[in-house]
Amino acid sequence: MSSRPSSSQTSVGSGALSHAYIQHPSLRCNVPESRGLFYDDANRLLICVTSSQVFSWETATFNPDVSPSVDSIPEGPILSIRCSLGKKVIAVQRSDCEIQFFHRETKQTLTHKCKAGSESILGFFWSDSPLCDLAVVKTSGMDLFACDSAMNLRLVETKKVNVNWYIYTHESRLVLLASGLQCKTITGFQLSTAGVVRLPKFEMTLATTESNSKPIISPGDVHLITVYGRIYCLQVDMEAMLLHTYRFYRDAVVQQGSLPIYSSKLSVSVVDNLLLVHQIDAKVVIIYDLFVDSRAPVSAPLPLLWRGYQGSDTSSQQENEGTESSTSSENIVMYEDAWTFLVPDLILDQTNKAISASSSDRSSLLEFLQRRKLEANKAKQLCLGIARTLILERRPATQVTQAIDVLVTAYSYSVKAGIYKELKNEKTTATTPTNDGASPDNERGRASGSSIDEEEEVEMNLPSGSADEQQESQLSSPAISPDELYKFVFASVEEAMVEESDYLVAIITEFLRSISAEKLKVDLNIYVMTVRLLAHSKRFAELSLFTTNKIIEPSKEVALQLLESGGQNLRVRKLGLDMLRQLSLHHEYISSLVQDGYYLEALRYAQKRKVTSVRSSLFLEAAFASNDMQHLAAILRVLSELIPGFKETSEYYTFHGLLNETSSSVAV
Amino acid sequence: MASMSSGDESLRLCVFDLRRGQTEGQELDKILFFHPPELDVSTQLSVTGLSEGLITFTRLFSPEAACEVIEAERHSHVFFEAETDIWMVMVVEKNKDTGAIWRIDALRGMLKEVHSLFVMFHGSVRALLEKEPTGGLTRAQLYPFITDYLSTFQKRSRSEDWCCDLFVGKKLQLPNFRETTLSERGTVQMLTLARDTALEVQSLVQVLDSCAGNLQCHSMILFQDLLVSTTLSPDDTTNLFTFAVMRLTSQALLSSDASSWSYLRKGTGSSETSSTSGSIDSQHHVIRPLQNDKWKKGKDGFLVTDVWGLETGGSPDSAIPIVWLQQRQERVYLLAYQYKSLTLLLLLPTTAVLNGGLSVSAVKHQVIEQASLRIMKIEEKISRGWGGENAYHVKGYRYLVVDTDLEVSRASPSGKVATLAKESLLALNKLREEVDLEKSRAKRQERDLEICIRAKNNAWVIARVSRDKELYMALEKASDTLLDATDAVGRFSNW
Repeated sequence: MSSRPSSSQTSVGSGALSHAYIQHPSLRCNVPESRGLFYDDANRLLICVTSSQVFSWETATFNPDVSPSVDSIPEGPILSIRCSLGKKVIAVQRSDCEIQFFHRETKQTLTHKCKAGSESILGFFWSDSPLCDLAVVKTSGMDLFACDSAMNLRLVETKKVNVNWYIYTHESRLVLLASGLQCKTITGFQLSTAGVVRLPKFEMTLATTESNSKPIISPGDVHLITVYGRIYCLQVDMEAMLLHTYRFYRDAVVQQGSLPIYSSKLSVSVVDNLLLVHQIDAKVVIIYDLFVDSRAPVSAPLPLLWRGYQGSDTSSQQENEGTESSTSSENIVMYEDAWTFLVPDLILDQTNKAISASSSDRSSLLEFLQRRKLEANKAKQLCLGIARTLILERRPATQVTQAIDVLVTAYSYSVKAGIYKELKNEKTTATTPTNDGASPDNERGRASGSSIDEEEEVEMNLPSGSADEQQESQLSSPAISPDELYKFVFASVEEAMVEESDYLVAIITEFLRSISAEKLKVDLNIYVMTVRLLAHSKRFAELSLFTTNKIIEPSKEVALQLLESGGQNLRVRKLGLDMLRQLSLHHEYISSLVQDGYYLEALRYAQKRKVTSVRSSLFLEAAFASNDMQHLAAILRVLSELIPGFKETSEYYTFHGLLNETSSSVAV
Repeated sequence: MASMSSGDESLRLCVFDLRRGQTEGQELDKILFFHPPELDVSTQLSVTGLSEGLITFTRLFSPEAACEVIEAERHSHVFFEAETDIWMVMVVEKNKDTGAIWRIDALRGMLKEVHSLFVMFHGSVRALLEKEPTGGLTRAQLYPFITDYLSTFQKRSRSEDWCCDLFVGKKLQLPNFRETTLSERGTVQMLTLARDTALEVQSLVQVLDSCAGNLQCHSMILFQDLLVSTTLSPDDTTNLFTFAVMRLTSQALLSSDASSWSYLRKGTGSSETSSTSGSIDSQHHVIRPLQNDKWKKGKDGFLVTDVWGLETGGSPDSAIPIVWLQQRQERVYLLAYQYKSLTLLLLLPTTAVLNGGLSVSAVKHQVIEQASLRIMKIEEKISRGWGGENAYHVKGYRYLVVDTDLEVSRASPSGKVATLAKESLLALNKLREEVDLEKSRAKRQERDLEICIRAKNNAWVIARVSRDKELYMALEKASDTLLDATDAVGRFSNW
């Protein structure tokens, strides 16, 4: 399988909008007298060969400045080249009947030949299956070999199939062998670590037309992709202008529907579990999320662009065919004829923001973002941002509810699956994100998302804290905990929404319903906030129901908020008092009663519950202020019984004196 | 007195306006309502005259609160000043043998209730009088309204043994001590919900609220005869709740189906009042919101009635019930939707419908579209979690708890209260009467009393009253000590 990544010189309009970007700068391999470029997908190596030398670049951690490792091999034609999985051995297909092996350390060589004339070698690949280390695909079938450290090849098994061509990706460990006149009969084997599994034979769908009654499928028409851990096969049906998708199960291959094609040439990439279909003639890329049943694209088609490309300086990678450039249009940038898209590894990343700007259904967008692994933190920040925006834009409550349901369900799922890990507290104290349009250029050093020359960058208008960012960027899941939703969504919009508290309460209720359904807990400050909002809009009936039905979970904080909000409404204050009493917060309860002027009731309660922590002067002063000497006398007596040694205090003395004074003056 | 031949002699109820009929010979103009209507004019005048005299006299000593009750040997006169200078007076016969033992506050509660309901549907009596100074309209509306209200109690006796003769059945039976001792008129009974159900309900409330677009509308949800949710103020809630339980809930509809005869007024038309009101009926557009058997469940789940007219006449919205919300001081359309035991009331401001281009049918459509599925689910969920009519029964106790601030009460189920011995109930009734008296005397702050009394039959009757809550209880376990009784109080009241 020959693979030649390439790029071209272009100038890019800076204002152009796109979902998918090619990373700039790209990796350059300026090797004089290059005879070809190969991509070893198992080792993620970009290999450039000259007549006697092999240059290989690591692409797993993308770095444009990495220097290649160089190996010398004997001269000869090179049809394909792949390193063994330990990178100890370089294997080179010299002809249709010969493969040579070179040990990089011992310089040992070995030549493997097939029966000339009766069969020919179509290609080979290395495997990490326990059964074999190397698979050689021939027209007569597939040979599986074990290879020891001394480079002895031992034939383990032969799968007899007539093969016209084959495709393999290391990512899926799946090899598809095409046979038949139209090459539409497919036999598949998966050489996984669990062993070699034969997939049921299946026929690909091909439409026929009068002009072409027997179309033939070529290897370039078939793509193997892996998204969300599922393996799909995509097959171009040019006559029908459809891209058929097949999903592989352990014991079945099921056609999953078709995507329309708008171009006579087409290729696909996978970025972060998203399928990018490059409509090469139309020079646009359409993004699909195969997770959802809908075959609707995630976003509107937009061109592929360079990211960070500075200007007019010329081309990048040397590439024999593709040196001519097209600068026809500012936006239309890419897709030279010479481009080859490497299915699993040619990684483009979408800008989430562009999608979020072009996708109208927010909840499916959030679902989509919640499935993103590559940029978990950014997806998370985006989700928070979207949720906030939904509320601030006062979208219909049902829409917001759906969106929040999505986030809560995703969180619940990831907690159950053990993906979500609560970060330390310092993280949550990071600034509440604001839309200040911070620079998108942070975070270059991402671990994943590398590619050969096409790289991704996410553009976000979301801010990023400094040190925390690093930590957050290592999040494995974009899931958002209820506490975070409270902090970064509800609490942060409260001020802006205070005049529309009804709306916000509606959304919070739905949020509470959602987390209650998932049996989750949330920061009790959300209840305090709900009390505040309901009181603000004077919805006392509901406040009462919320409290009695425990939608607002009782706590000291909530009770105190009820008391505070009850300044306007006695019934609300009463709810707060009742809550204090039910929580057995005697001290607060008694103090609040006295504050409301119910000092006798407070004292009775104190007497009954033997509460002595409340300052005795509170009762005395209240009674004295109400000028009721009978009460004052009664309180003095009760306090003397309640508090040991009360009669010796100066307080007792003072009020007792006051009492005597008044009563004597009354008597006079 | 010879004309008092009908079975209603045990009850007289009148409404009169002290500002009317000041000159001699015009006294009849004072009377806005009198029951029984067939009573001759002179007797009517003597009842109102006596009442007015008492009011004027007691006002000399207590200008703020004139007389509340007059206890005569055979009758009790209960006074209630519904609006300034508009008085309602109820005269009931006392008879220990027939069980005609009353608690005055309970009777006054009925007067308050019927007045509140009247205001909810027609606005205040004073406003009606100002609108139409002859009083014809007021009388025309009051007459059927109060009669329909009283027929509720008539109904009760009828449905118990409903094959009896109509005339016997027509006899009014005001709720006596058996019914009033462990219940509190003018309060709402709530359904206790689990948190997750409460959240579902609240979510439904929000959907209902949004059915009228951006308009602020109100809603109330009942499950059987219990309140599930409301967005109205306590006063409005209580009124609407009372009305719903009387006429709208699944049980109210069921009982009207069971006795599917239409109520016919048996008035002879001989007395002047009834003949005037009869002739006025044709002049004024009289609406009888409390008329029985007038609500039916439509195919779409909404309850329909022709009380407000027929949909065919005039604008399509003219036949929709309208009520007056006190707190918001606005008139609202009342839409009632029912699914099994769940009754939902939706209140739409009339101004928005008339001026804002909101159509009631569009709102109905929204409710069906957006909420009907949730309603179904919630009904199912509540039904599953509900313990039946004895859900709030506490074994060994017969109790009533009232939260006077929130206008909410909860009591032992009536079936369980009925198992109490008559002596216990009478003792508790007596105790309540005393407490009522004490309550009206004491300042709010000082309301704090706890009374445990051992009745003759060894039952404990208990009252505990605080600033905002009241508890009444009867324990019939003879072995219980006072300590047990106070323990029980502690268990029922943690305040």
